[in-house]
Amino acid sequence: MMCCRMAASQRKLQQFSLSFWSYSHLRYQLTKKQVCRHHGSLVSTSLPDVDSEIEKVSVHSLRGKAMRAMQDRLRKRHPMPSSRENRMAEDQDWTNVYPTAASFKWSAVPLSVRMGYPVNRGIPPHKLGNAELLKIPNFLHLTPLAIKKHCAALKGFCTKWPDGLNTDELCDEHFPVAIETSDYVFSSPSLRCPKARLVQVKLKLSKLPLDKHARWKLIQLVGDLYNKETDELCISADRCPVKQQNLDYAMYLLSVLFHEAHITEPWEETEQTEEDMEEYTWESGKREENLMRIKRRMHNKEISSAEEELKTAYTQVCNNKETSESIGSYKRAVLNLFGLKEPAPET
Amino acid sequence: MRKPVVSSRVFQSLPCLHSFHTSSNLEKVVAGRVKVSKGEKPVTYEKANFPFQIGVRKSWNSHHTGNLEDEDGAAERTLEDFFIRKFIDGTLHQCLATDLIIKRRANRIFLVAIMLRRLPPQKFYFLIGYTEELLSHWFKCPVKMEVQIVDEKPIYKWL
Repeated sequence: MMCCRMAASQRKLQQFSLSFWSYSHLRYQLTKKQVCRHHGSLVSTSLPDVDSEIEKVSVHSLRGKAMRAMQDRLRKRHPMPSSRENRMAEDQDWTNVYPTAASFKWSAVPLSVRMGYPVNRGIPPHKLGNAELLKIPNFLHLTPLAIKKHCAALKGFCTKWPDGLNTDELCDEHFPVAIETSDYVFSSPSLRCPKARLVQVKLKLSKLPLDKHARWKLIQLVGDLYNKETDELCISADRCPVKQQNLDYAMYLLSVLFHEAHITEPWEETEQTEEDMEEYTWESGKREENLMRIKRRMHNKEISSAEEELKTAYTQVCNNKETSESIGSYKRAVLNLFGLKEPAPET
Repeated sequence: MRKPVVSSRVFQSLPCLHSFHTSSNLEKVVAGRVKVSKGEKPVTYEKANFPFQIGVRKSWNSHHTGNLEDEDGAAERTLEDFFIRKFIDGTLHQCLATDLIIKRRANRIFLVAIMLRRLPPQKFYFLIGYTEELLSHWFKCPVKMEVQIVDEKPIYKWL
Protein backbone atom coordinates (compact mmCIF):
# COMPACT_ATOMS: atom_id res chain seq x y z
CA MET A 1 0.00 0.00 0.00
CA MET A 2 2.85 2.32 0.90
CA CYS A 3 4.52 1.65 -2.39
CA CYS A 4 1.34 2.34 -4.38
CA ARG A 5 0.65 5.56 -2.53
CA MET A 6 4.18 6.81 -2.92
CA ALA A 7 4.18 5.95 -6.59
CA ALA A 8 0.86 7.73 -7.12
CA SER A 9 1.96 10.84 -5.27
CA GLN A 10 5.23 10.88 -7.18
CA ARG A 11 3.41 10.64 -10.49
CA LYS A 12 1.26 13.61 -9.52
CA LEU A 13 4.33 15.49 -8.41
CA GLN A 14 6.09 14.80 -11.68
CA GLN A 15 3.15 16.02 -13.75
CA PHE A 16 2.95 19.10 -11.65
CA SER A 17 6.58 19.86 -11.40
CA LEU A 18 7.87 19.16 -14.90
CA SER A 19 7.47 22.74 -15.99
CA PHE A 20 8.83 24.36 -12.82
CA TRP A 21 11.38 22.12 -11.19
CA SER A 22 14.85 21.46 -12.30
CA TYR A 23 15.77 18.23 -14.01
CA SER A 24 17.97 17.12 -11.13
CA HIS A 25 15.11 17.19 -8.66
CA LEU A 26 12.99 15.09 -11.00
CA ARG A 27 15.79 12.61 -11.22
CA TYR A 28 15.96 12.39 -7.44
CA GLN A 29 12.25 11.60 -7.29
CA LEU A 30 12.63 8.93 -9.92
CA THR A 31 15.50 7.23 -8.11
CA LYS A 32 13.47 7.15 -4.90
CA LYS A 33 10.69 5.41 -6.74
CA GLN A 34 13.12 2.92 -8.21
CA VAL A 35 14.49 2.09 -4.78
CA CYS A 36 11.01 1.42 -3.42
CA ARG A 37 10.13 -0.87 -6.27
CA HIS A 38 13.46 -2.60 -6.05
CA HIS A 39 13.27 -3.67 -2.42
CA GLY A 40 9.52 -4.06 -2.07
CA SER A 41 8.32 -3.26 1.43
CA LEU A 42 10.24 -3.36 4.66
CA VAL A 43 7.35 -5.14 6.35
CA SER A 44 8.70 -8.37 4.89
CA THR A 45 11.97 -8.92 3.06
CA SER A 46 10.87 -12.18 1.53
CA LEU A 47 7.36 -11.76 0.14
CA PRO A 48 7.12 -10.39 -3.40
CA ASP A 49 3.90 -8.45 -2.91
CA VAL A 50 3.63 -7.33 0.69
CA ASP A 51 1.05 -4.59 0.21
CA SER A 52 -1.69 -6.96 -0.90
CA GLU A 53 -0.54 -9.30 1.84
CA ILE A 54 -1.25 -6.67 4.48
CA GLU A 55 -4.71 -6.01 3.08
CA LYS A 56 -5.55 -9.69 3.27
CA VAL A 57 -4.77 -9.76 7.00
CA SER A 58 -7.73 -8.73 9.18
CA VAL A 59 -7.52 -5.29 10.84
CA HIS A 60 -8.63 -6.82 14.12
CA SER A 61 -6.09 -9.65 14.23
CA LEU A 62 -2.96 -9.16 16.26
CA ARG A 63 -0.81 -9.71 13.21
CA GLY A 64 -2.69 -7.11 11.17
CA LYS A 65 -2.39 -4.59 13.97
CA ALA A 66 1.32 -5.18 14.34
CA MET A 67 1.95 -4.91 10.59
CA ARG A 68 -0.07 -1.73 10.24
CA ALA A 69 1.62 -0.17 13.27
CA MET A 70 4.97 -0.83 11.69
CA GLN A 71 3.87 0.68 8.40
CA ASP A 72 2.64 3.81 10.17
CA ARG A 73 5.92 4.08 12.03
CA LEU A 74 7.87 3.82 8.80
CA ARG A 75 5.69 6.37 7.04
CA LYS A 76 6.34 8.98 9.75
CA ARG A 77 10.12 8.75 9.52
CA HIS A 78 12.35 10.78 7.27
CA PRO A 79 13.43 8.60 4.36
CA MET A 80 17.00 7.37 4.24
CA PRO A 81 19.25 9.26 1.83
CA SER A 82 19.48 7.62 -1.59
CA SER A 83 22.11 4.92 -1.66
CA ARG A 84 25.43 5.12 -3.46
CA GLU A 85 24.45 2.61 -6.13
CA ASN A 86 22.02 5.15 -7.62
CA ARG A 87 24.75 7.74 -8.05
CA MET A 88 27.28 5.43 -9.68
CA ALA A 89 28.47 6.13 -13.21
CA GLU A 90 28.31 3.22 -15.61
CA ASP A 91 31.97 3.51 -16.61
CA GLN A 92 33.35 3.92 -13.08
CA ASP A 93 36.50 2.22 -11.86
CA TRP A 94 35.22 -0.69 -9.74
CA THR A 95 38.56 -1.08 -7.94
CA ASN A 96 37.86 2.26 -6.23
CA VAL A 97 34.54 0.96 -4.87
CA TYR A 98 36.09 -2.23 -3.44
CA PRO A 99 39.82 -1.49 -3.01
CA THR A 100 40.40 -4.20 -0.36
CA ALA A 101 38.60 -7.18 1.14
CA ALA A 102 35.39 -5.97 2.76
CA SER A 103 31.95 -7.33 3.58
CA PHE A 104 29.11 -6.96 1.12
CA LYS A 105 27.68 -3.40 1.10
CA TRP A 106 24.18 -3.29 -0.33
CA SER A 107 24.42 0.43 -0.94
CA ALA A 108 27.61 0.07 -3.00
CA VAL A 109 26.86 -2.99 -5.12
CA PRO A 110 24.47 -2.10 -7.99
CA LEU A 111 23.16 -5.66 -8.36
CA SER A 112 19.76 -6.94 -7.27
CA VAL A 113 21.21 -9.85 -5.29
CA ARG A 114 18.94 -12.03 -3.19
CA MET A 115 20.03 -14.63 -0.66
CA GLY A 116 18.31 -16.94 1.82
CA TYR A 117 15.64 -19.61 2.04
CA PRO A 118 12.29 -18.23 0.80
CA VAL A 119 9.16 -18.25 2.93
CA ASN A 120 6.12 -20.10 1.70
CA ARG A 121 4.88 -18.49 -1.56
CA GLY A 122 7.81 -16.08 -1.30
CA ILE A 123 11.17 -15.35 -2.83
CA PRO A 124 14.64 -15.18 -1.20
CA PRO A 125 15.13 -12.04 0.93
CA HIS A 126 16.53 -8.98 -0.86
CA LYS A 127 19.93 -7.50 -0.17
CA LEU A 128 18.86 -4.58 2.08
CA GLY A 129 19.65 -5.60 5.64
CA ASN A 130 20.38 -9.19 4.63
CA ALA A 131 22.82 -10.56 7.19
CA GLU A 132 23.47 -13.74 5.21
CA LEU A 133 25.09 -11.70 2.45
CA LEU A 134 27.40 -10.09 5.00
CA LYS A 135 28.47 -13.40 6.52
CA ILE A 136 29.82 -15.03 3.37
CA PRO A 137 33.23 -14.06 2.01
CA ASN A 138 33.09 -12.24 -1.31
CA PHE A 139 35.50 -11.60 -4.17
CA LEU A 140 34.29 -8.13 -5.10
CA HIS A 141 37.78 -6.76 -4.42
CA LEU A 142 39.45 -9.44 -6.59
CA THR A 143 38.18 -8.52 -10.04
CA PRO A 144 40.55 -9.23 -12.96
CA LEU A 145 41.30 -5.52 -13.22
CA ALA A 146 42.23 -5.34 -9.52
CA ILE A 147 44.57 -8.32 -9.86
CA LYS A 148 46.22 -6.70 -12.87
CA LYS A 149 46.76 -3.55 -10.83
CA HIS A 150 48.24 -5.54 -7.93
CA CYS A 151 50.64 -7.32 -10.27
CA ALA A 152 51.72 -4.04 -11.86
CA ALA A 153 52.37 -2.57 -8.41
CA LEU A 154 54.34 -5.65 -7.27
CA LYS A 155 56.46 -5.78 -10.43
CA GLY A 156 58.73 -3.03 -9.13
CA PHE A 157 59.75 -5.19 -6.17
CA CYS A 158 60.55 -8.34 -8.19
CA THR A 159 64.10 -9.31 -9.17
CA LYS A 160 65.16 -11.26 -12.25
CA TRP A 161 65.53 -15.05 -11.93
CA PRO A 162 69.25 -15.96 -12.16
CA ASP A 163 70.36 -17.14 -15.63
CA GLY A 164 72.24 -20.29 -14.63
CA LEU A 165 69.34 -21.80 -12.63
CA ASN A 166 66.76 -22.54 -15.29
CA THR A 167 66.19 -26.22 -14.45
CA ASP A 168 65.71 -28.14 -11.20
CA GLU A 169 68.89 -30.17 -11.88
CA LEU A 170 70.98 -26.98 -12.10
CA CYS A 171 69.42 -25.68 -8.87
CA ASP A 172 70.25 -28.97 -7.08
CA GLU A 173 73.80 -28.84 -8.39
CA HIS A 174 74.54 -25.29 -7.21
CA PHE A 175 72.48 -25.42 -4.01
CA PRO A 176 72.70 -29.02 -2.70
CA VAL A 177 71.35 -28.25 0.80
CA ALA A 178 67.55 -27.83 0.83
CA ILE A 179 65.91 -26.27 3.91
CA GLU A 180 62.18 -26.91 4.39
CA THR A 181 60.12 -24.75 6.75
CA SER A 182 56.41 -23.97 7.02
CA ASP A 183 54.51 -20.82 7.88
CA TYR A 184 50.94 -21.04 9.15
CA VAL A 185 48.09 -18.60 8.57
CA PHE A 186 45.35 -18.72 11.18
CA SER A 187 43.08 -16.35 13.06
CA SER A 188 44.35 -15.40 16.46
CA PRO A 189 45.65 -12.21 18.11
CA SER A 190 49.15 -13.70 17.87
CA LEU A 191 50.83 -14.36 14.52
CA ARG A 192 53.16 -16.99 15.93
CA CYS A 193 52.23 -20.64 15.46
CA PRO A 194 54.06 -23.23 17.58
CA LYS A 195 54.05 -25.63 14.61
CA ALA A 196 56.17 -23.21 12.54
CA ARG A 197 59.35 -24.03 14.49
CA LEU A 198 59.98 -27.33 12.63
CA VAL A 199 62.96 -27.21 10.25
CA GLN A 200 64.05 -29.95 7.84
CA VAL A 201 67.48 -29.93 6.20
CA LYS A 202 67.78 -32.27 3.20
CA LEU A 203 70.95 -33.16 1.37
CA LYS A 204 72.14 -35.79 -1.13
CA LEU A 205 75.09 -37.71 0.36
CA SER A 206 76.75 -37.87 -3.08
CA LYS A 207 77.13 -34.07 -2.94
CA LEU A 208 79.37 -34.27 0.16
CA PRO A 209 83.15 -34.85 -0.29
CA LEU A 210 83.31 -38.22 1.51
CA ASP A 211 85.60 -41.21 0.98
CA LYS A 212 84.28 -44.77 1.25
CA HIS A 213 84.94 -45.12 4.99
CA ALA A 214 83.57 -41.69 5.86
CA ARG A 215 80.41 -42.23 3.83
CA TRP A 216 79.69 -45.58 5.51
CA LYS A 217 80.44 -44.17 8.95
CA LEU A 218 78.09 -41.22 8.35
CA ILE A 219 75.31 -43.59 7.30
CA GLN A 220 75.89 -45.70 10.44
CA LEU A 221 75.81 -42.56 12.62
CA VAL A 222 72.57 -41.07 11.27
CA GLY A 223 70.62 -44.35 11.21
CA ASP A 224 67.01 -43.80 10.05
CA LEU A 225 67.68 -40.25 8.82
CA TYR A 226 69.32 -41.64 5.67
CA ASN A 227 67.10 -42.82 2.83
CA LYS A 228 68.95 -45.45 0.80
CA GLU A 229 66.64 -45.29 -2.25
CA THR A 230 67.04 -41.55 -2.82
CA ASP A 231 70.54 -41.25 -1.27
CA GLU A 232 69.12 -38.42 0.81
CA LEU A 233 69.99 -37.36 4.35
CA CYS A 234 67.12 -35.57 6.15
CA ILE A 235 67.77 -33.85 9.48
CA SER A 236 64.69 -32.42 11.21
CA ALA A 237 64.88 -30.23 14.31
CA ASP A 238 61.99 -29.04 16.49
CA ARG A 239 63.43 -28.93 20.00
CA CYS A 240 63.97 -25.16 20.19
CA PRO A 241 61.04 -22.70 20.33
CA VAL A 242 62.09 -20.56 17.35
CA LYS A 243 62.66 -21.53 13.71
CA GLN A 244 66.06 -19.84 13.48
CA GLN A 245 67.37 -21.72 16.52
CA ASN A 246 66.24 -25.02 15.05
CA LEU A 247 67.88 -24.19 11.73
CA ASP A 248 71.15 -23.35 13.51
CA TYR A 249 70.94 -26.62 15.43
CA ALA A 250 70.31 -28.68 12.28
CA MET A 251 73.26 -27.08 10.48
CA TYR A 252 75.43 -27.68 13.56
CA LEU A 253 74.40 -31.35 13.56
CA LEU A 254 75.24 -31.64 9.88
CA SER A 255 78.74 -30.20 10.31
CA VAL A 256 79.44 -32.35 13.38
CA LEU A 257 78.35 -35.49 11.52
CA PHE A 258 80.53 -34.56 8.54
CA HIS A 259 83.66 -34.10 10.66
CA GLU A 260 82.98 -37.13 12.86
CA ALA A 261 82.65 -39.30 9.74
CA HIS A 262 86.19 -38.44 8.67
CA ILE A 263 87.73 -39.61 11.96
CA THR A 264 88.88 -43.24 12.08
CA GLU A 265 89.01 -44.59 15.61
CA PRO A 266 91.60 -47.33 16.43
CA TRP A 267 88.88 -49.87 17.36
CA GLU A 268 87.24 -49.45 13.96
CA GLU A 269 90.12 -51.35 12.27
CA THR A 270 90.48 -54.17 14.81
CA GLU A 271 86.94 -54.86 15.94
CA GLN A 272 85.03 -54.57 12.70
CA THR A 273 83.09 -57.71 11.83
CA GLU A 274 81.39 -58.86 8.65
CA GLU A 275 78.06 -57.43 9.83
CA ASP A 276 79.52 -53.91 10.12
CA MET A 277 80.46 -53.75 6.43
CA GLU A 278 78.34 -51.81 3.98
CA GLU A 279 78.55 -54.60 1.39
CA TYR A 280 79.89 -58.14 1.31
CA THR A 281 83.17 -58.79 -0.49
CA TRP A 282 84.58 -62.28 -1.02
CA GLU A 283 87.99 -61.26 0.31
CA SER A 284 86.68 -59.94 3.62
CA GLY A 285 84.76 -63.03 4.66
CA LYS A 286 85.72 -66.53 5.81
CA ARG A 287 84.30 -68.24 2.68
CA GLU A 288 87.78 -68.29 1.13
CA GLU A 289 89.05 -70.66 3.90
CA ASN A 290 86.03 -72.93 3.58
CA LEU A 291 86.51 -73.15 -0.16
CA MET A 292 90.20 -74.03 0.28
CA ARG A 293 89.21 -76.83 2.68
CA ILE A 294 86.74 -78.22 0.19
CA LYS A 295 89.33 -78.07 -2.55
CA ARG A 296 91.80 -80.00 -0.39
CA ARG A 297 89.24 -82.73 0.27
CA MET A 298 88.56 -83.04 -3.41
CA HIS A 299 92.28 -83.56 -4.08
CA ASN A 300 92.78 -80.18 -5.79
CA LYS A 301 90.59 -80.94 -8.74
CA GLU A 302 90.39 -78.25 -11.42
CA ILE A 303 87.36 -76.22 -10.34
CA SER A 304 88.43 -72.61 -11.05
CA SER A 305 85.44 -71.86 -13.33
CA ALA A 306 82.98 -73.17 -10.72
CA GLU A 307 84.85 -71.15 -8.07
CA GLU A 308 84.39 -67.90 -9.98
CA GLU A 309 80.71 -68.65 -10.48
CA LEU A 310 80.23 -69.31 -6.78
CA LYS A 311 81.99 -66.04 -5.85
CA THR A 312 79.75 -63.89 -8.06
CA ALA A 313 76.55 -65.75 -7.10
CA TYR A 314 77.22 -65.58 -3.37
CA THR A 315 78.14 -61.85 -3.44
CA GLN A 316 74.98 -61.21 -5.44
CA VAL A 317 72.83 -62.94 -2.80
CA CYS A 318 74.49 -61.09 0.09
CA ASN A 319 74.46 -57.58 -1.34
CA ASN A 320 71.15 -57.47 -3.19
CA LYS A 321 67.60 -58.31 -2.32
CA GLU A 322 66.91 -62.05 -2.35
CA THR A 323 65.10 -63.18 -5.48
CA SER A 324 64.36 -66.65 -6.80
CA GLU A 325 66.83 -66.04 -9.67
CA SER A 326 69.75 -65.10 -7.38
CA ILE A 327 69.05 -68.05 -5.04
CA GLY A 328 68.76 -70.33 -8.07
CA SER A 329 72.10 -69.21 -9.49
CA TYR A 330 73.75 -69.70 -6.09
CA LYS A 331 72.31 -73.23 -5.93
CA ARG A 332 73.58 -74.01 -9.45
CA ALA A 333 77.04 -72.70 -8.52
CA VAL A 334 77.25 -74.95 -5.43
CA LEU A 335 76.11 -78.00 -7.42
CA ASN A 336 78.71 -77.25 -10.08
CA LEU A 337 81.42 -76.94 -7.46
CA PHE A 338 80.72 -80.42 -6.12
CA GLY A 339 80.20 -81.82 -9.59
CA LEU A 340 76.61 -82.80 -8.90
CA LYS A 341 73.70 -82.86 -11.29
CA GLU A 342 70.63 -80.74 -10.78
CA PRO A 343 67.77 -82.91 -9.54
CA ALA A 344 64.94 -83.36 -12.01
CA PRO A 345 61.87 -81.28 -11.18
CA GLU A 346 59.22 -83.22 -9.33
CA THR A 347 56.25 -84.19 -11.41
CA MET B 1 6.70 -42.29 29.59
CA ARG B 2 9.36 -43.62 31.90
CA LYS B 3 8.14 -45.09 35.17
CA PRO B 4 10.04 -44.49 38.43
CA VAL B 5 12.04 -47.49 39.51
CA VAL B 6 11.07 -47.24 43.17
CA SER B 7 7.44 -46.63 43.98
CA SER B 8 6.56 -43.26 45.42
CA ARG B 9 5.21 -44.83 48.60
CA VAL B 10 8.75 -45.86 49.59
CA PHE B 11 9.95 -42.27 49.20
CA GLN B 12 7.08 -40.92 51.22
CA SER B 13 7.84 -43.28 54.06
CA LEU B 14 11.51 -42.31 54.20
CA PRO B 15 11.94 -38.92 55.92
CA CYS B 16 15.39 -38.29 54.42
CA LEU B 17 14.06 -38.55 50.84
CA HIS B 18 10.92 -36.54 51.43
CA SER B 19 11.73 -33.84 48.88
CA PHE B 20 12.94 -36.20 46.14
CA HIS B 21 10.89 -35.84 42.94
CA THR B 22 10.49 -38.77 40.58
CA SER B 23 8.87 -37.42 37.44
CA SER B 24 10.11 -38.17 33.94
CA ASN B 25 12.16 -35.37 32.41
CA LEU B 26 10.65 -33.07 29.80
CA GLU B 27 13.12 -33.20 26.91
CA LYS B 28 12.15 -29.90 25.31
CA VAL B 29 14.69 -27.99 23.27
CA VAL B 30 14.24 -24.25 23.82
CA ALA B 31 17.66 -22.69 23.19
CA GLY B 32 17.93 -20.40 20.17
CA ARG B 33 14.26 -20.76 19.19
CA VAL B 34 11.62 -18.07 18.90
CA LYS B 35 8.39 -19.06 20.57
CA VAL B 36 5.69 -19.24 17.95
CA SER B 37 2.73 -16.95 18.61
CA LYS B 38 -0.30 -16.11 16.46
CA GLY B 39 1.75 -14.33 13.83
CA GLU B 40 2.14 -10.93 15.45
CA LYS B 41 5.84 -11.33 16.19
CA PRO B 42 8.19 -9.89 13.51
CA VAL B 43 11.24 -12.18 13.20
CA THR B 44 14.51 -11.70 11.32
CA TYR B 45 16.01 -14.37 9.08
CA GLU B 46 18.58 -15.20 11.75
CA LYS B 47 15.91 -15.87 14.39
CA ALA B 48 13.40 -17.54 12.10
CA ASN B 49 15.84 -20.32 11.24
CA PHE B 50 16.50 -22.42 14.31
CA PRO B 51 20.00 -23.53 15.36
CA PHE B 52 19.88 -26.85 13.49
CA GLN B 53 19.69 -24.86 10.25
CA ILE B 54 23.19 -23.42 10.79
CA GLY B 55 25.26 -24.44 7.79
CA VAL B 56 22.07 -25.32 5.87
CA ARG B 57 19.88 -22.22 5.56
CA LYS B 58 21.94 -19.75 7.57
CA SER B 59 25.65 -19.31 8.12
CA TRP B 60 27.73 -18.99 11.28
CA ASN B 61 27.86 -15.67 13.13
CA SER B 62 31.53 -16.03 13.91
CA HIS B 63 34.09 -16.97 11.27
CA HIS B 64 37.60 -18.06 12.28
CA THR B 65 40.02 -20.93 11.68
CA GLY B 66 39.76 -22.26 15.24
CA ASN B 67 36.68 -24.27 14.30
CA LEU B 68 38.45 -26.11 11.47
CA GLU B 69 39.87 -29.60 11.91
CA ASP B 70 43.22 -29.95 13.73
CA GLU B 71 43.34 -26.25 14.61
CA ASP B 72 43.91 -24.73 18.03
CA GLY B 73 42.22 -21.85 19.82
CA ALA B 74 38.48 -22.58 19.47
CA ALA B 75 37.89 -22.03 23.18
CA GLU B 76 39.84 -18.74 23.31
CA ARG B 77 38.02 -17.39 20.22
CA THR B 78 34.63 -18.32 21.68
CA LEU B 79 35.37 -16.53 24.93
CA GLU B 80 36.56 -13.44 23.03
CA ASP B 81 33.41 -13.52 20.90
CA PHE B 82 31.26 -13.67 24.01
CA PHE B 83 33.00 -10.61 25.42
CA ILE B 84 32.78 -8.67 22.12
CA ARG B 85 29.05 -9.36 21.80
CA LYS B 86 28.39 -8.23 25.37
CA PHE B 87 30.48 -5.11 24.82
CA ILE B 88 28.73 -4.10 21.58
CA ASP B 89 25.35 -4.84 23.12
CA GLY B 90 26.08 -2.40 25.91
CA THR B 91 27.95 0.25 23.92
CA LEU B 92 25.57 0.58 20.98
CA HIS B 93 22.55 -0.20 23.10
CA GLN B 94 19.42 -1.39 21.23
CA CYS B 95 20.99 -0.39 17.89
CA LEU B 96 21.70 -3.86 16.52
CA ALA B 97 19.10 -4.92 13.95
CA THR B 98 20.45 -8.48 13.71
CA ASP B 99 23.14 -10.41 15.57
CA LEU B 100 26.71 -9.19 15.39
CA ILE B 101 28.89 -10.98 12.83
CA ILE B 102 32.50 -11.48 13.89
CA LYS B 103 35.02 -12.28 11.16
CA ARG B 104 38.68 -12.93 11.83
CA ARG B 105 41.30 -12.58 9.12
CA ALA B 106 44.83 -13.42 10.34
CA ASN B 107 45.25 -11.27 13.48
CA ARG B 108 42.54 -8.76 12.59
CA ILE B 109 38.98 -8.84 13.93
CA PHE B 110 36.15 -7.42 11.80
CA LEU B 111 32.85 -6.67 13.49
CA VAL B 112 30.10 -6.52 10.90
CA ALA B 113 26.84 -5.07 12.17
CA ILE B 114 23.50 -4.01 10.75
CA MET B 115 22.33 -1.10 12.89
CA LEU B 116 19.10 0.83 13.38
CA ARG B 117 18.82 4.61 13.22
CA ARG B 118 18.46 5.03 16.98
CA LEU B 119 21.37 7.47 17.42
CA PRO B 120 22.51 10.59 15.55
CA PRO B 121 25.40 9.95 13.12
CA GLN B 122 27.92 11.88 15.27
CA LYS B 123 27.29 9.55 18.20
CA PHE B 124 27.57 6.55 15.90
CA TYR B 125 30.95 7.75 14.63
CA PHE B 126 32.20 8.33 18.15
CA LEU B 127 31.00 4.97 19.47
CA ILE B 128 32.48 3.07 16.52
CA GLY B 129 35.89 4.68 17.08
CA TYR B 130 35.61 4.11 20.82
CA THR B 131 34.76 0.43 20.33
CA GLU B 132 37.60 -0.12 17.86
CA GLU B 133 40.13 1.60 20.09
CA LEU B 134 39.16 -0.18 23.32
CA LEU B 135 38.80 -3.65 21.81
CA SER B 136 42.14 -3.29 19.95
CA HIS B 137 43.77 -2.35 23.24
CA TRP B 138 42.30 -5.34 25.09
CA PHE B 139 42.86 -7.98 22.44
CA LYS B 140 46.26 -6.56 21.35
CA CYS B 141 45.26 -6.78 17.69
CA PRO B 142 43.53 -4.47 15.16
CA VAL B 143 39.73 -4.43 15.47
CA LYS B 144 37.62 -2.85 12.71
CA MET B 145 33.89 -2.22 12.55
CA GLU B 146 31.84 -2.36 9.35
CA VAL B 147 28.47 -0.81 10.11
CA GLN B 148 25.52 -0.58 7.75
CA ILE B 149 22.30 1.22 8.63
CA VAL B 150 18.69 0.19 8.02
CA ASP B 151 15.39 1.87 8.86
CA GLU B 152 13.72 -1.06 10.59
CA LYS B 153 14.64 -4.58 11.53
CA PRO B 154 14.80 -6.62 8.31
CA ILE B 155 11.72 -8.78 8.87
CA TYR B 156 11.73 -12.20 7.29
CA LYS B 157 8.38 -13.44 8.53
CA TRP B 158 5.77 -13.03 11.23
CA LEU B 159 5.72 -15.88 13.69
